Amino acid sequence: MGFHNKYIWLGLGAAIFLIYPLIFTLPFPRHLMIMIFLYATLGLGWNMIGGYAGQISLGHAVFFGVGAYTSTLMLMKLGVSPWAGMLVGGLLSAGISFIIGYPCFKLAGHYFAIATIAIGEIAQVWMLNWDWAGAAVGLTLPILPESLINLEFHSTKAPYYYIAFGLLILGLLATYGIDRSKLGYYFRAIKGDLEAARSLGIHVTKYKFYALALSAFFTSICGSFYAQYILFIDPDSVFPLMLSIVVCLVATLGGVGTVWGPVIGAFILIPISEFTRIYLGGGGKGTDLIIYGLLIIVISVYQPFGVIGLAKRFRKKESG
Amino acid sequence: MALLEVRQLTKNFGGLMANDRVDLRVNEGEIVGLIGPNGAGKTTLFNCISGFYPSSGGQVFFKGEDITGLPSNEICLKGIARTFQIVRIFKDMAVLDNVMVGAFNRTGSASVARKKAMEVLDFCGLLPKKGMLAGGLTIANKKRLEVAKAFATGPSLLMLDEAMAGLNQTETAEAVELVKKIRNSGITVLLVEHVMEVVMPISNRVVVLDYGRKIAEDTPEKVINNEEVIKAYLGDKYHASRRAH
Repeated sequence: MGFHNKYIWLGLGAAIFLIYPLIFTLPFPRHLMIMIFLYATLGLGWNMIGGYAGQISLGHAVFFGVGAYTSTLMLMKLGVSPWAGMLVGGLLSAGISFIIGYPCFKLAGHYFAIATIAIGEIAQVWMLNWDWAGAAVGLTLPILPESLINLEFHSTKAPYYYIAFGLLILGLLATYGIDRSKLGYYFRAIKGDLEAARSLGIHVTKYKFYALALSAFFTSICGSFYAQYILFIDPDSVFPLMLSIVVCLVATLGGVGTVWGPVIGAFILIPISEFTRIYLGGGGKGTDLIIYGLLIIVISVYQPFGVIGLAKRFRKKESG
Repeated sequence: MALLEVRQLTKNFGGLMANDRVDLRVNEGEIVGLIGPNGAGKTTLFNCISGFYPSSGGQVFFKGEDITGLPSNEICLKGIARTFQIVRIFKDMAVLDNVMVGAFNRTGSASVARKKAMEVLDFCGLLPKKGMLAGGLTIANKKRLEVAKAFATGPSLLMLDEAMAGLNQTETAEAVELVKKIRNSGITVLLVEHVMEVVMPISNRVVVLDYGRKIAEDTPEKVINNEEVIKAYLGDKYHASRRAH
């Protein structure tokens, strides 16, 4: 793909997504895209530690939940704009990631993943019992006048759509920046071979911390956005293990350690979950999980590099 | 002043003495060969110097500074780069990207690292392969890439652990040329090698280890004729029959 060609495609894609809400005016198509953008951004966030640095985390719901709760509590208790709460939540999550990383980075491979599951569960149980933060009842956000500064819109989903799109662009830019910089090379080296990375002067633990902190920051921002979009949060909706797994799957299905992988993954997975919810309703609850499960098996057996890997293989065959 | 000075380095794994009070000096601009039979403790010594194993005793000085016990990444930053006997390349990354990881040791800028990596690839004769995935290279080129990565970190001392094992004669000759080129570019080389024919012609000095102890240190010509070295390599029997002549 040529240099100019690539930019034409990017511009075309951006244009399509910018006019999408003008064409699709009903709530559902907009909601679908908002969820796709949200999960794509979450996938991009997860990809920084899980994809690039190869440290599989299954506890990312912690950062999502911290983001959702921080902005919501700051809004409810202090009356601070959710945007400020989003930023504080992101920084808080990055801070928490150091506390999580300190013990967990001593573990390798599967043991790291298991430890992150445990931390996710601890966080959820903690929140279920923390009365000041709403405990199991959750928090219903105050209905404020529609405005960008309040990050609340009741008459139309279009502003949420554009904000989610903006988050996705932000995630893509950050990922692109990482991919091309020293960070990206060091993350990939750590994923490839720890000892070799060390021998080339890489402070492995330090760079793992960087990856996790960046990842936590983006995941947390998505959590704050989610809270403002749904206007209700409880530990079951923002701290569940399932969220961590879906986020990991989005990146894995699309292609780990690539800029576009998580975006592709979200475009495949989220419609499955949304459409099964609509067509099968409560009786079909869990159908999307069954499909996810099948996808996990198919990916891990046939194409560990995801859809992007498949596309690359196809292109190579074409040229060769 | 020696570039690298190892004093009384000892490493034991439980009851096994892998290195027993080894002294070693490497002067600037030299190629020093470290040889010995299988299990003599050559790689262990490498691992202790480069910070992969904590040593059980003794000290390591580099440019006069005590670097004993420093983690391997800091030792690399100080200017000692090493390769591994079993190549540890990043097989899912392109050849150029592999070398860039090394080049980032001295810079934060991707364009500077890329430029440096291209120079190193050119130097090592891997430039035509720069776009390939490292995992797809031949053994000889993988070994070459292993050297290139370490070389790109900008070391003053390069420690090569059997960079030529498993290569055929032509490939070995090419690898020897590369080592000479590296030395001529001003980098000191410490070489672990099994193949005597490789070490002897290029080394200024040869150090021989056996059962973790240093049994000889001399010029290649003298080491070849050293009785204890012959005994270590060929056993007592050969030693005895030689004497009978």
